[in-house]
Amino acid sequence: MRILVVEDERDLASAVAKGLRREGYAVDVSHDGDDALGKVMVNSYDLVCLDVNLPKLNGRALARRLRSGDIATPEGASPRILMLTALDEPEDRVAGLDDGADDYLAKPFDFSELTARIRALLRRDAGRSGAVLQSGTLKLDTRRHSATRCDAVLRLSPKEFALLHYFMSRPDEVLSQEELLEHVWDEHADPFTKTVRVTVMTLRRKLERDGLPQPIETVVGSGYRLRGAA
Amino acid sequence: MNVLPEWMRSVRFRITILYSTVLFVLAAVLVAALYLALLSTLRHEPSFTRITDFAADINGDGESQPSERLLITDLRGFERAANENTVENMREYALGALGVLFLVSLGVGWVISGRVLSPIGRITDVADHIQATDLSRRIELQGPHDELKRLADTFDGMLARLDAAFQVQSRFIADASHELRNPLAVIRTNVDVVLSDPNATADDWRQTGFVIGRATDRMSRLVDDLFALARLESPNMRSDRLDLSALASEVAGDFDAVAGGKNVTITKDLGGSLPVAGDGDALKRALANLLDNASKFAPTGSPVRISAGQMDGWGWVALRDHGEGISAEDQTRIFDRFWRKDRSRSRSSGGSGLGLSIVRGIAESHSGSVRVSSQPGRGAVFVLWIPLIGEPAGEHPPDWMPGVSGDAPARQVPA
Repeated sequence: MRILVVEDERDLASAVAKGLRREGYAVDVSHDGDDALGKVMVNSYDLVCLDVNLPKLNGRALARRLRSGDIATPEGASPRILMLTALDEPEDRVAGLDDGADDYLAKPFDFSELTARIRALLRRDAGRSGAVLQSGTLKLDTRRHSATRCDAVLRLSPKEFALLHYFMSRPDEVLSQEELLEHVWDEHADPFTKTVRVTVMTLRRKLERDGLPQPIETVVGSGYRLRGAA
Repeated sequence: MNVLPEWMRSVRFRITILYSTVLFVLAAVLVAALYLALLSTLRHEPSFTRITDFAADINGDGESQPSERLLITDLRGFERAANENTVENMREYALGALGVLFLVSLGVGWVISGRVLSPIGRITDVADHIQATDLSRRIELQGPHDELKRLADTFDGMLARLDAAFQVQSRFIADASHELRNPLAVIRTNVDVVLSDPNATADDWRQTGFVIGRATDRMSRLVDDLFALARLESPNMRSDRLDLSALASEVAGDFDAVAGGKNVTITKDLGGSLPVAGDGDALKRALANLLDNASKFAPTGSPVRISAGQMDGWGWVALRDHGEGISAEDQTRIFDRFWRKDRSRSRSSGGSGLGLSIVRGIAESHSGSVRVSSQPGRGAVFVLWIPLIGEPAGEHPPDWMPGVSGDAPARQVPA
């Protein structure tokens, strides 16, 4: 899952980005509204953490423009918006939500609450209600950061975990290498390396179980697919 | 007095009693006068002659007869008795009428005084319902433009002013808490992130320490500035005899010593002494804020000029920078609390957003003012005006900007 953190307070932005990366998200950072707008138009984000008081273009205006659809995002996707701001009056919250935010968190906040809200927002895409995703014999606990197959714990790297998370939130969908790169890696990833292929390969190896089919299959010429009943 | 029921302690009750008593006394006096007048009229007995004449006329021979005399005597007795009866009846009716009048006047007085006093009740009701947190209600008394309407309008005006003052105050508190939340969020998040990382290295901890240090610096500057603003509103500002020019020199010296690395050159042109009355710490703070502001927006290596002088009984200190200047639109807002042209830029240079509003507050608490003149791209001049001691100063400082309106005009006293 890929997240854009828009925050002009650099010391805050870097801490949030660091914490979220450790949770397995691909994170990009913007320090002003214009820069954020540019990034949203180029990269596909699953979620934007948006400050309201921003230089150049403020967060509420950015949220409105994202929601009104006059910004051409890649794949026409509309990321979830979590407003993260020091403005804590009820009327500020109402205004923020009405401008298109999906959730609103006032500063200062508890980092674990921020990650819980992010998980909740990202779950909405997959249409699931709990923190645990399940697909056949695979189980993924997004809160505890653990994955199991047939109740045996899988020892995954953060990137492998993020990749499996993305697959499991879109079961039976064909996902191209480009889409995986967009949503699981941040903007520092080199699109010309084989990083997606290599990570899919190592993930598959860790998912292997004797006598059971491989859950991630290759769709020739298109990408990969997680088989829901695997 | 508290043993009386509430309605008996009211103005309405007193007015009613007063009104009824006055009416009763007047009516009683009137009735008594009529009664006495009637009494004295009846005792004159003027009708006897007429009756005698009448009796004589009936006879027709010009002589009075004994039987006729008897008749006349009877008539006299009859008339006297009738008169006495009438007077007695009248006295009884009058006393009864007075009693009824008193009772009716009590009722009428109660109703009328109630109607006249009802606006006061309305004013009281509204005042009762107004909480300090909600001053939006108004009395809005309808009716003729009389004393009570004026009273209600005066209350409404006072409420409007209080409402405005409270709103400014609560806006300020909201702004201040908002400004404090940002550094708090920085601290909280950095601590949370490093604490929840089991593999945090010593470097991570050191980095977090630096970030927290920066955030607390910002918070203490903000708290200092908030305290400076609060102190301006308290009545115990000092009023010492000070030299504005010497204060400016001192502030410029301090600034040179502390911020030598800031790469702005401060040039001084301070002239002779400018005696003013005021709080030395506050005035130094105002000048330091202006100097800080000027150096913040001055390009590296450019000069910042601090000059002082006097004009028309006013002393001035001017700061001129060669920065990017301030647009006419922004010039009206730069003295507002927490106003920033570019938040992140001012933040990185450490501003709380209160510096210039503190300057304005200090100037106003010294009966002076602070003004700005600037054109975008051509730097800015800030001037602090303070009235001099022992000079006849006008109510407002002269409409003149040092170093802007060309050379000093002839009326400027060379300092």
